[in-house]
Amino acid sequence: MAPQALLSPLHQADGSATYSANGYSVIGAVNGPVEVSRRDELPEEAAIEVNVRPAAGVGGPRERHLESLIQSTLRHIILTRAHPRTLIQVTLQVTSLPEEESSVGDGSGFSFSSLPVLPPLLTTATLALLSASIPLSTTLSATLVAITAAGKIKCAPTAAELVRASAKVSSLHVFAFSVGRALLLAESEGDFEFGAWESACEVAEDACCKSVEGMEVDGEVENGQEFLRGVVEGKVGREMRWRTAA
Amino acid sequence: MPRAAEISVNEREFILQGLKENIRLDGRPFDAFRSLELNFGDEHGVADVQLGKTRVIARVSAEVTAPFVDRKFDGIFNISTEFSPMASPAFEIGRPTEAENILSRILEKAIRRSGALDTESLCIIAGLKCFSLRADLHVLDHDGGLIDASCIAVIAALQHFRRPDVAVEGENATIFSIREREPIPLSILHHPICVTFSYYNAGGIMLVDANLAEEQVREGEVVITMNRHGEVCQIAKYGGVSVDALALLNCTSVALEKVKDITKFIQRRLEEDAKKRDVGGLIAELSAENAR
Repeated sequence: MAPQALLSPLHQADGSATYSANGYSVIGAVNGPVEVSRRDELPEEAAIEVNVRPAAGVGGPRERHLESLIQSTLRHIILTRAHPRTLIQVTLQVTSLPEEESSVGDGSGFSFSSLPVLPPLLTTATLALLSASIPLSTTLSATLVAITAAGKIKCAPTAAELVRASAKVSSLHVFAFSVGRALLLAESEGDFEFGAWESACEVAEDACCKSVEGMEVDGEVENGQEFLRGVVEGKVGREMRWRTAA
Repeated sequence: MPRAAEISVNEREFILQGLKENIRLDGRPFDAFRSLELNFGDEHGVADVQLGKTRVIARVSAEVTAPFVDRKFDGIFNISTEFSPMASPAFEIGRPTEAENILSRILEKAIRRSGALDTESLCIIAGLKCFSLRADLHVLDHDGGLIDASCIAVIAALQHFRRPDVAVEGENATIFSIREREPIPLSILHHPICVTFSYYNAGGIMLVDANLAEEQVREGEVVITMNRHGEVCQIAKYGGVSVDALALLNCTSVALEKVKDITKFIQRRLEEDAKKRDVGGLIAELSAENAR
């Protein structure tokens, strides 16, 4: 199923977005720049607080780990120096999980990796930041890459593919890229060689970033950056209707 | 933690002046709810309630655990309400506000202690295995009326939820996944719904379903929980203003009307959802539920 996104569905938060892809749905809200508590205040830049909330239950170490990954990534794309001594609050609420992952908790012993949920979280955070008009140096798009034991690289695998092939998937990688094709985040788990990682990185880069110099491949699925651009274009188009209608 | 933006003196005066002239900010009658929307997720047990601009998602999930030692024949049911900064920047994780405490206490009284859910039916093997049900409430947008919206969300999610089927042979219990056997609905004894009344002008003016601005200027509130048969599950009163006993009786009759409407609405949405899921009319054949 193609990813879907909606900007500004909430009224109370400064900016918000919902994003769903591959069975994951995340709703994100951004408040900021707001007053910061003395404890978190940074004299020369904005503090960024990320809260990840799971679909069921209260957050645990897994969510704290995801929060720290997202926080350190967002810190580099938000122009924090534009708002010193303030706080930018990012809240990400997972609203639905693929059936495979939500049914894993029945004590079957198989623990689902925390990496597949990371790309939807990052994308939602970016969309929510855009919706809140927080100044950014670049936008971000992220994707999941799985490498099977046979060395085959699969970009953005669904949860069903991961579970069914769980014996065969040897490593999982999450890559996030900026518009300028700079690598912003690389998280990996499992066994892999450096060569395999490099090719996975290339596959992810093509999936995330616009092709250079108009090398249009026909029948190509929309890449991450184009998707973001389309969502924002749609929203601006709707908001500017009053101008264009005449 | 940033402080919540408080309502200004002018706004406060404006709202109160309006109420004295029988006008609400959004033009509703004094005893009208905001528009209510209820949507269910793809999974069972997810209810998304929108009451005006307030939006709450309730999610019910089940797992198998050992029951409490002193309650061997009962399953476990918990409601967890944790506010996130999504609803308002003033909410901080790990530091419950007063509103959060009141909400969780009222839901506890209204749904758990009123015996809405038959916890005995969640027992698999006495003393060894039972279902532990939890309802997670996610407040996405806060524009007043959180208690009413949350209660509707939890009740709707409980009715929508299906627990996995089990087969017991002596000491062994087999739990069937959704793919193996059609999951079965929970046994819910009655459907309590909360209605909040806000009091102004030293108890002279009573509003149903106040929004956030109206909540901030109110002097007192009365939360009445009842089911559609008119059985009152709980009455809670907060705030300084005193409320006449006869006025409370009047509240319950107003609440009954609202509760009937809301219950009917939930039922209609559940039926619509069931129809949508029942592709090809196979659900009736697949069901393992016993006839009552």
